[in-house]
Amino acid sequence: MDPLGKLYERRVNRRKFMAGIGAAGATTALAGCGSSQPVITSTSTAVGDSDILNFALNLEYLEAQFYLHAATGSGLLATDIGSSPGTVTGGAQVTGLTSAQQNILNEIAYDEQQHVRFLRSALGSAAVAMPNIDIVNSFNALASAAGIGSSFNPYASFNSFLVGAFIFEDVGVTAYSGAAPLISTAGIAAGYLTAAAGIMAVEAYHAAYVRTALTAGAIALGTTAFPYLTYANQVSTLRASLGGGNETTLTIPSGTTSATSIVTPSAIVASTSANAIAYARTTDQVLHIVYGTANGSGVAKGGFFPNGLNGKISVTAS
Amino acid sequence: MATQETQTLDNIIASRRALLVGGGAALAALAMPGIAHAASSTTGFGDTDILNFALNLEYLEANFYYLAAFGTNISSANTLYPTGAMVQGITGTGTQGTVLVKASPKVPFVNLSVASYAVETAIEEGKHVAFLRSALGPAAVAQPQIDLMTSFNALASAAGIGSAFDPFASDANFLIGAYIFEDVGVTAYNGAAPLFTTGTTGKTYLAAAAGILAVEAYHAGLVRTTINALDPTGTLGYMTLTQQVSALRAKLALAAAPSPASVYDATPDDYGVTPGTITVSLGGGASVSRSQIVDADPTNVTAFSRSTTQVLNIVTGGGATTANTKATGVFFPNGLNGLIS
Repeated sequence: MDPLGKLYERRVNRRKFMAGIGAAGATTALAGCGSSQPVITSTSTAVGDSDILNFALNLEYLEAQFYLHAATGSGLLATDIGSSPGTVTGGAQVTGLTSAQQNILNEIAYDEQQHVRFLRSALGSAAVAMPNIDIVNSFNALASAAGIGSSFNPYASFNSFLVGAFIFEDVGVTAYSGAAPLISTAGIAAGYLTAAAGIMAVEAYHAAYVRTALTAGAIALGTTAFPYLTYANQVSTLRASLGGGNETTLTIPSGTTSATSIVTPSAIVASTSANAIAYARTTDQVLHIVYGTANGSGVAKGGFFPNGLNGKISVTAS
Repeated sequence: MATQETQTLDNIIASRRALLVGGGAALAALAMPGIAHAASSTTGFGDTDILNFALNLEYLEANFYYLAAFGTNISSANTLYPTGAMVQGITGTGTQGTVLVKASPKVPFVNLSVASYAVETAIEEGKHVAFLRSALGPAAVAQPQIDLMTSFNALASAAGIGSAFDPFASDANFLIGAYIFEDVGVTAYNGAAPLFTTGTTGKTYLAAAAGILAVEAYHAGLVRTTINALDPTGTLGYMTLTQQVSALRAKLALAAAPSPASVYDATPDDYGVTPGTITVSLGGGASVSRSQIVDADPTNVTAFSRSTTQVLNIVTGGGATTANTKATGVFFPNGLNGLIS
């Protein structure tokens, strides 16, 4: 068996599962209104604003480490990752970039670094330390699970980097979109909602950049010479299977400009086809994606987080 | 009988109710540093008023993109409509208006990508109109009078771009025209998000507004990315145009900034696309240059939030600086429909 594929096996860390579910007492189960939505269960009794922000902080640690490594070859400063932090496995500088491409990497890396600092500052002493992060084996396992190949190196070229970035950005949007309505009334008054919505918008700007660049590359070169759009869509399909659907695959526009016969337009925006509203994911759905594991309760680690997230929201409830 | 929209909203509610139960934990001890969120200028307004405010803006955006992509406004049938583009309703409360635009506004696109983006965005903004009208039901406001001709000339003049600007003239002009709207949409939805009521209905609207906010940011990112790609070094002048537009928006936002000034986001609250002339420090390394695809606060990198009055002042070109007086001008010559106007 492919050892990397093991990352995508369903994992159950029994001890953490019991700590997360059992200690919280009653769990709430809700049927999904007869739709395709999975039944949502949650340890609802003790999840507050700081837990939501710490959940976001874990994701920002991951994004910041990925982008900083891609842009510079090294990661976050020790002062930005808390006390007794985890370690980062993998990560490398993308070389051979044009200055315009390097500027893009630098911008996104900076943005995510500042999100880490901002959330850590907001949480103060309640901020979780950086958990163990894997940004090499995770990509290989994900590529294998998505059918891209047995390995995938997002640091090999600018276009490979775009696929790596694609993995994160739309997930960030759906995670913040899902979290925004969870913030308490007191939290709204304290500015958390404005902060979360503001970060979500930035993740959407990033996602739009990545999706536009991938689409433009495929338009210019075709999907044979430019296979990266196809890779991204394979990732999207995998994310859909792990994260409750909530995906819009990229398309290459068909038609001509002269006759205004755009038969199929681009799909830069990831949103519902009914209302063009961006998807929202539950924390469970996000955990399943970043852990690289299919639906089920008690999933506590895997994928990009080999030892799981730090904080209260770290084990799937369904 | 659930419509698709209400079913979507029901699903959102169901999937969140569990966590909402525990969401009331107050964290007063946590202080959010560096956040100066725009103060509400809508005291006394309800969820319906906020959604109608958004609907006015979506009427504006959808008409712009429909006209650019298809040559017709959102309430007109057109055989060019691809799947997903539909005739939208524009009736409702308030005074229904028309759209002032030049003859044959369909952009003579030469770039397939840009043409496709226009079509995609038109479809999505049209759906936002339909969604908000469906959510509001009989409370939806009518489309107000909209000006997509002299408005751009006035804005161009105010921004120092020249006495006339035709956003329907070319691929590049279309992108600059789109640029004017999209970042404003982001700041408007961001500013509106905390204004919703905190009950189940308000949370449902908040979830939808957050989703639309993200889509506006996707659009803004798309437009800024494409401008950046067409003019990577700034030699064609497109980046300068975005900076001039952003500077004007920031000026108009500042003129309508809530008081005290301490709650106002920042000065400026808008950044155009730049060709890597900004330097930042990454990790422990030396300073490096970066691009400016994202329009956000330069320190915390959170998108800006504007009050309804600030947004009104931008879309009316400075018409909202007198309290309790209906703002008129530029894109909305007769003002918006609804209470927030």
